[in-house]
Amino acid sequence: MIEIRQLAKAFALEKGQKLSEAELQDVRYTGRSFCSVRDVSFSCARGEVLGLLGPNGAGKTTTLRMLSTALKPDAGSILLGNADVLQDPLLARRKIGFLSSSTGLYGRLTAFENVAYFARLHGMSEVALRERIDELFTMLDMHSFASRRAELMSSGMKQKTAIARAVVHSPALVVLDEPTTGLDIMTTQTVLDFIRGLKAAGTPVIFSTHHLDEVSSLCDRVVVINQGISAFDDSLSAFASLSSKGDLREAFMAVIKGEAVSCGKSM
Amino acid sequence: MWQVYVKELLELSRDRKTLMFVILLPVLIFPVIFGLMGLVAANVTANKQAEEHRYVIIHAERAPAFAEKLFYHKNFKQVSTELTDPEALRQAVRDGKFDLAVLIPADFDASMPTLVQSQWTVIYNTAPMLDLIGNYLKDLVKDYSRQLQQARLEAVGITGSQVDAVLEPVKMNKISSAENREDLGEKLGGWIAYLLVPLCFMGCSYPAIDIGAGEKERGTLETLLICPISRTSLVLGKFITVLTTGLATALITVLSFGGWGYLIGSLAGVDVIAKAMSALGFTDLLLILAMLIPLTMIFASVLLSLSIYARSFKEAQNYIGPMSILVFVPLALALLPGVELTWKTALIPMTNISLCIKELVKGTIDMGILSLVIASTVVLAGVLIAVCVHWFQREKVLFR
Repeated sequence: MIEIRQLAKAFALEKGQKLSEAELQDVRYTGRSFCSVRDVSFSCARGEVLGLLGPNGAGKTTTLRMLSTALKPDAGSILLGNADVLQDPLLARRKIGFLSSSTGLYGRLTAFENVAYFARLHGMSEVALRERIDELFTMLDMHSFASRRAELMSSGMKQKTAIARAVVHSPALVVLDEPTTGLDIMTTQTVLDFIRGLKAAGTPVIFSTHHLDEVSSLCDRVVVINQGISAFDDSLSAFASLSSKGDLREAFMAVIKGEAVSCGKSM
Repeated sequence: MWQVYVKELLELSRDRKTLMFVILLPVLIFPVIFGLMGLVAANVTANKQAEEHRYVIIHAERAPAFAEKLFYHKNFKQVSTELTDPEALRQAVRDGKFDLAVLIPADFDASMPTLVQSQWTVIYNTAPMLDLIGNYLKDLVKDYSRQLQQARLEAVGITGSQVDAVLEPVKMNKISSAENREDLGEKLGGWIAYLLVPLCFMGCSYPAIDIGAGEKERGTLETLLICPISRTSLVLGKFITVLTTGLATALITVLSFGGWGYLIGSLAGVDVIAKAMSALGFTDLLLILAMLIPLTMIFASVLLSLSIYARSFKEAQNYIGPMSILVFVPLALALLPGVELTWKTALIPMTNISLCIKELVKGTIDMGILSLVIASTVVLAGVLIAVCVHWFQREKVLFR
């Protein structure tokens, strides 16, 4: 289980950066800094899929980057099981599998080499990594392009490789930042099936998305971040109930407009 | 750290640009330079020496012996002119009507002993670096003057070896203490550094951009940062990769320099290169390579720091481009006349390496100063690596 409490992160503005009228009205701009995440709290239990929603620039990616230890929060805490992620980031990195919004593959390495490189960085032996890669490549249907360089792959192939790389070390928590963006229907389905597989294996999954149909079919819990604050944190059914018709789009708009707030635990 | 190193090397070995900068350029640049030097030097000299210069001589009848020498010189051809005024003759030379005008004073009489020095005027274009007309004239006038001196001295009873004793009472025989190698080293040593050092810089620059800013641009850096590996190990892995490519360039450059120098010098018979290469031994080439190691460490750390700071490949190129020009400044300093390797200049980065290479080529290196140069360069490289590691820990730099 992962528990995030009152995370906050501000970035200094560039020297000479001028703010627009809209930005001057934005409460996140204070002095010469931009508070990307002001107060985000949520938790994700074993076997749970948590959908992280929010408009562009709401603070989702910054939250996920803090969760994955790429960024250090200014305030707040992150507990992964009993481990304090902020105190021992190296330990946390062994337990977290992270897929960033860009596939981030090495173009001149093959699919196998890309995944194997990260397996080695996670300290896996050659035998173990080969077995694990074979298992993942079968699950994600990747054997046909295992020896193809990433620069020659299609978007779907790249995303599959990036997912295999993110979970090659069998992480205790999987964090996916917009994993289906720009993918065709077939590849999207493979990715969603893979997330279901993780859920079935009891691995908690946090994924940010703009696709509400994916939230509806996959998520147990929904967190909506707006202007750097977790504006909603509850079960999928509680989220759907924000709309009279059970329409997630309406429910989302209600949270963003501040008409509905829920940070309860009704699962 | 080694996993990062092995992966970076594997990826760079599949990149054509890296292979071009690290292998192809150092292998090909020396045959091109040596070949061009040999060909151009040989052709220019041969063409110039075969050139025929048209001349006019005013009052030739006053110095017939000189006029005859000029007439029979293989590089001069007499043409006629009505002009006698120096300014008009100068204009005619400028207009290309002829190349040289020799004005002998109307009152000059070669047969009359006189104690007044005769002033002759020659008009030609003195701008070309290879002043062949001037050289030819100098020899002709010297011969002619000697002839007159001899005739005048004989007229007063001085003959044979007495003539030499009167004309040149003291003759200085110069014996150089410098060996041939020292002489060549002084002339060529600085230029060797001028060729080698920028190549090492180039060998580091492209890989540094690729594995720093390139990694940021491709979005792979973020994924790498969340692996269970410390950022120090990460940056050191990258640093060693850049160092390896820089050193590979240095090694290939030195081997190429030695190999091609030997081939072109001895087999193709280009004299100046053959002399230079015969003066250099295998140990000297090894020492030159050893000098390049700490220097390459400096390049690798500075370039990697800049590359990591940059947001994109292009931004990194914008930072590193001007730096490649800056590299030449301390090297040019080492080429200035009078700049020698001393305990003080041994502390000027890059200039010290350049001066050291020069001394190595000359064979006059002071081992104490050599040690100081290596030590100061290693210390500087260490400080810059520490800066690079510190730089890599900063979120502001990594997530600009």
